[in-house]
Amino acid sequence: MTVPQSKPMHRRWFNPSIARYMEAFTTTRGIAALTAIILISALAFLAPVVFPGGYDVQSRESLRAPSFLHFFGTDELGRDLFVRSIYGLRSDLALVYFAVPVSMVAGTLLGLIGAVSPRLGSFVQRCLDIIVGFPGLILGICVVLVLGAGWTALLVVIVVSGLPGFGRLARATLLSQQQREYVIAARTLGVGKWQIMVRHILPNAVDPIIVQGAVFVVSAIFIEAALSIVGLGLQPPEPSLGTLLNNGIRYISRAPTYVLGPTVILIIVALAFSMLADALNATVNRK
Amino acid sequence: MLTFFLKKLPSVVMVAIASSVIAFVLPRLAPGDPAVALAGSDASPEQLAAVRDQLGLNGSLYEQYFHWIWNLLHGDLGRSFAMRRPVATLISSRLESTIELAALALVLMIIIGFTLGILSATLRNQTTKAALDVVNTICLATPPFLTGLLLILLLGIAFPILPVSGEMGLLRDPVKGLQYLILPAFALALPQAAVVARLLATAINSVRGEDFIDLAKAKGVPPGRLMRRHLLRNSLGPAIVAIGLRAGELLGGAIVIEAIFARNGLGQLAVSSVQNRDYLVLQALILGAVLIAVLIQLLSEITIAALDPRIRLEG
Repeated sequence: MTVPQSKPMHRRWFNPSIARYMEAFTTTRGIAALTAIILISALAFLAPVVFPGGYDVQSRESLRAPSFLHFFGTDELGRDLFVRSIYGLRSDLALVYFAVPVSMVAGTLLGLIGAVSPRLGSFVQRCLDIIVGFPGLILGICVVLVLGAGWTALLVVIVVSGLPGFGRLARATLLSQQQREYVIAARTLGVGKWQIMVRHILPNAVDPIIVQGAVFVVSAIFIEAALSIVGLGLQPPEPSLGTLLNNGIRYISRAPTYVLGPTVILIIVALAFSMLADALNATVNRK
Repeated sequence: MLTFFLKKLPSVVMVAIASSVIAFVLPRLAPGDPAVALAGSDASPEQLAAVRDQLGLNGSLYEQYFHWIWNLLHGDLGRSFAMRRPVATLISSRLESTIELAALALVLMIIIGFTLGILSATLRNQTTKAALDVVNTICLATPPFLTGLLLILLLGIAFPILPVSGEMGLLRDPVKGLQYLILPAFALALPQAAVVARLLATAINSVRGEDFIDLAKAKGVPPGRLMRRHLLRNSLGPAIVAIGLRAGELLGGAIVIEAIFARNGLGQLAVSSVQNRDYLVLQALILGAVLIAVLIQLLSEITIAALDPRIRLEG
């Protein structure tokens, strides 16, 4: 992804008009992405209203194929897989909507900290390099090892694995901006280091960070799924898309539709957020 | 070549020591006492002490660490708490499965990556090229577990051509073993192959602008030879770096793939040891994974140096 053209003009440090980003939702791709994401999120978070019975209603009809009664069929305990998938999606989205913003803010701060102390800045970058060096799931396993499987571990894994991406983008902005005349002018006028970081450098970093945020949502959901598939994610009976896949794989020959439902939802969510990232990227780079 | 290798040696040793410390400390940060877990919560202090002694958990952390390293250097990895067998036996019984998977995935990654990369750099037809790019992007964005699941559903269930779970040692029955191996290895290799393909295509396209390519064309070098001797050879660098880096991802991805395809490999051992808090097994596995990743990276650096004398001499 290319870093968008920076605007050295002074801007309010937090630009409250999200109108700039709303432009992304005037394209077909943007509208499709937004509709899909709103629908998915509404369905997921309203799950207790739509399916008041909860995700743990058992019946005798175990491992049934999809029907009008059960869209995705039933699992080994006769629970409706569509309901479980929606509740699973709810766990995933709750996790992601919380962890990704945290990772965005923390990563951006870590990347920009070089504006305050150059030495600390390069030290932080070396630390981020170490995180990158850990192959995907091995980082997850190390965190689960220390914290035990569950929500906390998943949150930490997602936040930590997002840090390098956001941190490096913010760092790239910092390096490209800190020698520009307006920053030097501000420094000469006696503006404090923190203020330069927040008021002058940060606004330039916001665009790429937001795009990367949408990209990272997809990775975060995949991280959850991968950890849960090996059995180190959420623990039963709480459903997540990954734990459903983990269970479904055991019955894949007897009930192949078991894994199909969660997989389809996973793909739809991934596509929706990829499209969102594309639409945002196009808008941000147009200017 | 030897001096190049010697220059790299100190950093490799440093990484090895650092990762041994991490591998040792990490499991011990976890809450809970394996001695209590093993002896039961109502065990008397004497029983606990006896269990601790048996596990080698007595003494300070330093003593435990040096004890572990000392034994490690003598080829003794200790005994698993949970499975009550020597760690070395446990690991070696699972080693074959994971090595076969990772090795075939590596080979597939190189073959698929190079084929796709060379194709997308040479294709003239814009439509096919765009189609190839779409395929490449999809492969890049799909994580191994998703590819694995879709492959199982397609080739194992919808068209039952290949077995979907279990395994068979390649040495025992090569044909059957390969049947079990091909789907997981393919799923593992595909996303990484897409990365290699993309880097290789970019490198080839940038080398194509160089003067020596024009010269070779002017001399009348045929296209096939131009690709092999002039374009490919000078574009290999980034692809080999990518392969070295991606090999670590293969190890990480292998854990999920083993879970999906019900292969009883090291990944499964790692997962069950996390669940059982089996320190010594985990220590050995983490250390092994990091060392292998470092070795592969070193190997890729050596390959690049062998291909390009400039790096070897400056190194």
